[in-house]
Amino acid sequence: MKASLHTSLGPLTLDHPIINASGTFDVIEADRILEADLFSDFPFAAYVPKTVTLKPRTGNEPPRLYETAAGLLNSIGLANKGIENFIVEDLPRLAELLVPIIASIAGESTSDYGSCAELLAGRDEVAAIELNVSCPNVELDGRALGCDPERTARAVSLARAATSKFLIVKLTPNVTDIVAVAQAAAAAGADCISVINTVHGMALDPWTLKPVLGHTSGGLSGPAIKPVALRAVYMVSRALDLPVIGMGGVTTAQDVLEFLAAGASAVAIGTASFRDPLLAARLPGELRDLMEIRGISSIGQLSGMA
Amino acid sequence: MEDQHIPASLFDCPVVESRPVGSYRLISFVAREVAALARPGQFLMVRAAGQSLDPLLPRPIGVHELESDLVKILIEPVGRGTISLAGLRVGDRLSVLGPLGNGFDLNGEGPALVVGGGIGAAPLAFLARALSQRGREVRCLLGFKIRGQAVAAELFRNQKIDVYTEDGSMGGMGLISEPLPGILAEMQAGGPENAISAAGDSSDGAIPADDGETGVAGYHRAAEIFACGPDAMLAALSGIAGDHGAKAQVSMAAHMACGVGACQGCVIRTVDGYRRACSEGPVFAAGEIAW
Repeated sequence: MKASLHTSLGPLTLDHPIINASGTFDVIEADRILEADLFSDFPFAAYVPKTVTLKPRTGNEPPRLYETAAGLLNSIGLANKGIENFIVEDLPRLAELLVPIIASIAGESTSDYGSCAELLAGRDEVAAIELNVSCPNVELDGRALGCDPERTARAVSLARAATSKFLIVKLTPNVTDIVAVAQAAAAAGADCISVINTVHGMALDPWTLKPVLGHTSGGLSGPAIKPVALRAVYMVSRALDLPVIGMGGVTTAQDVLEFLAAGASAVAIGTASFRDPLLAARLPGELRDLMEIRGISSIGQLSGMA
Repeated sequence: MEDQHIPASLFDCPVVESRPVGSYRLISFVAREVAALARPGQFLMVRAAGQSLDPLLPRPIGVHELESDLVKILIEPVGRGTISLAGLRVGDRLSVLGPLGNGFDLNGEGPALVVGGGIGAAPLAFLARALSQRGREVRCLLGFKIRGQAVAAELFRNQKIDVYTEDGSMGGMGLISEPLPGILAEMQAGGPENAISAAGDSSDGAIPADDGETGVAGYHRAAEIFACGPDAMLAALSGIAGDHGAKAQVSMAAHMACGVGACQGCVIRTVDGYRRACSEGPVFAAGEIAW
């Protein structure tokens, strides 16, 4: 039996369920630096560029990265060139990709989400918009807008009013009840939920015993957070009648299989690409093998099996 | 600093040599393409091949030396990644992404002073050899904490080297910032034979040494410094280079995740704002860094 990997996210049709997590893969830079021709041979089923904000952001004080046990702490702080530069400089190039583009936006206030969504609304290159309401690195207390269901709903409804594009809302796990935030986003007009962004964490320098990160605290990613993410996917997909994109520590085809079984319609990989830049190219084939040996013929059959 | 672009790829490489060099470990592996392409100052993202998730990510490691189809790296085992790399033995395999980064710009002229601090000396052996092969007069100044590290100076073959240790257990005692001004002045003054060549080279920034600083009659030649080491050393060096009118290129270290410009994690504070060590460095003009 031949398993099919085709899947969809609302109006987006995907050749397979594996996409990249925002901020972990820059196709323009990678194509310049690496031998591979990434524009014609793109490994992901959709492309999510790094989150952009209304105004450019320089990002947080370095050091911004520190590896922990099977995990990576980061405190990048949404460093980006700003949405207008993204639209002018990057979008025309990204339009060469043969896969859908999911633009990722974040705001320093709820109104920024409406403004950014409006700037993207008329851009045909953009198939969908991800509202990143969950970056933990913008304020020291890490209190992302997505920690509050009401502020999340306000950001989503402003974006909803600005565009009819497929709206994905990316949530933080750093809350008491992620389902409540997901429901608030859904009620405000979200089309899809992404879970999870990084988990709050910190690390001390082994010698000085002071925080390693320039920002003190950061977001943890990598295999260490996979169980946290898997649970979030399971809870949110059961509670809502919306497609869910699962992410957080996905490192192997077995992880992809489990996230789909937990209820995800698509799965994003991030930190694992840093570990193995060829992972994304291998995963679809490995996922198909894992489905076939289990007698699973489609993503639809797999989704929500858990 | 170099603009010419060399495409990087991912390789699976067998380790063919693993031996201690003092408190460091020298690892040689077969990587024909990297050996053919890599330039001094470029780096590789390196991890032990295999499924283990801890350590998770590759580490940015400068190319120490190339020898036919072999690539050599020098590892200081200090953290989870480097301890894992230092544990590799002959027959083990490495996952290698590279060559990455800009590398040093070797196109200048005049005498070259190669300055390394600690494990920062590792990528400079390849650099010193390449500079010599280009006919540059090369002098090396290497600083370490202790003798156990300083024995790595033996890896700089056929070079004129001054070694310093902080505890005086090998070579001179102290930080390299102490002998640096004197060595620089000596190189810039040159000997009588150098004064002649420098005189014919005046379009290249050579200026008369009549400021009394060198104490040597004749002509002043602009030296160029190439350095890699701890930030504090590079900051001190940058100041000294400026005082002596010498250009300096510095290779900056930062924790990295992707190595290819995506994650924005390895930024260095420069006079033009944050810049990525991986894709915009790791080599910068000393004057570009906001020390």
